[in-house]
Amino acid sequence: MKTLEELRKIREKAQNEMKMRNSESRVKVVVGMGTSGIALGARDVMKAILDEVSNRKLTDVLVTQTGEKGLSSMEPVVDVIEKGKPKITYGNVTPENARKIVVEHIVNGKVVSDLVVATKND
Amino acid sequence: MQDISLHILDILENAISAEAKKIELSINVNEKENILSIRIKDDGKGIDEELLQEVENPFYTTKKERIKKVGLGIPLFKQHALMTDGDFSLKSEKDAGTVINVVFQYDHIDRMPMGDLESTLLNTIFSHPEVDFEIILQRQNSHETKEKFSTSAIRRILGDVPLTYPDVMDFIKENIKRSLKKIKVEEL
Ligand SMILES: Nc1ncnc2c1ncn2[C@@H]1O[C@H](COP(=O)(O)OP(=O)(O)OP(=O)(O)O)[C@@H](O)[C@H]1O
Ligand SMILES: [Mg+2]
Repeated sequence: MKTLEELRKIREKAQNEMKMRNSESRVKVVVGMGTSGIALGARDVMKAILDEVSNRKLTDVLVTQTGEKGLSSMEPVVDVIEKGKPKITYGNVTPENARKIVVEHIVNGKVVSDLVVATKND
Repeated sequence: MQDISLHILDILENAISAEAKKIELSINVNEKENILSIRIKDDGKGIDEELLQEVENPFYTTKKERIKKVGLGIPLFKQHALMTDGDFSLKSEKDAGTVINVVFQYDHIDRMPMGDLESTLLNTIFSHPEVDFEIILQRQNSHETKEKFSTSAIRRILGDVPLTYPDVMDFIKENIKRSLKKIKVEEL
């Protein structure tokens, strides 16, 4: 492993930052990672999302994946969940589309309507 | 499924669905013995005996949202291993956990490539920062290389700083990359 000293420095920096803002996440992004999703390219979709989120330092976005997904005909599938808003499900997502979803929907707040396959109020 | 690292991702995600708190992944490549083996152990809710009889067969799933109950992840992995005259075993105990052992014959013409193991590992770690991952990568040819990676060790130092803090993500990424380079994963 890389030096633990380095990790301690990161901790100090992060703790100082965390004191100044609340760390609650604003958006949750869920990528369907069941067998059919994986077979249809969900791993690279996830990779693209993580890449955008980390390059843009979007610390208020929670990115996760789940094997519990049933929309096999529209995989890869990505859910975007924001508090107080309907859950938006994107289907047949490519890595390129995934980057677009991060920029347009998550950063700029505009749903990418042509990629939406379901909208659900909770 | 086109490569082994995609199967590993699938099995890791099964373990997460089973509410595992700790997942151990070991990959061992021994060219002299002509073996590429994978072991994935979790402490999730396990599989009861009745279900255990069936999970290695195609089309078994407990997923409820599907009309047709199709479970393909485990049977496909098994099939791909057996195609190389390898081996597959799944042991599980209700409320204790599950361990899957998969052996491929290393130089068999039907052995799938390892593929993008880096993405499998990073996606899974960053998606489930609350889970402890213990990863052991081992390669034995003329000399032995053994790389260990543990998210619980990292978390101990981080305290209340999350694993998904950007600099921590970079740190983890660099470590995983370096370990994969040491075992020359691109040759696999
Ligand atoms: N690690 C595990 N712990 C507990 N139960 C498991 C584990 N792995 C698999 N199972 C059980 O075995 C079933 C079959 O698994 P399998 O991966 O073959 O299919 P699936 O996950 O149900 O669907 P698919 O993989 O096709 O998306 C699962 O539905 C689950 O009930
Ligand atoms: Mg599965």
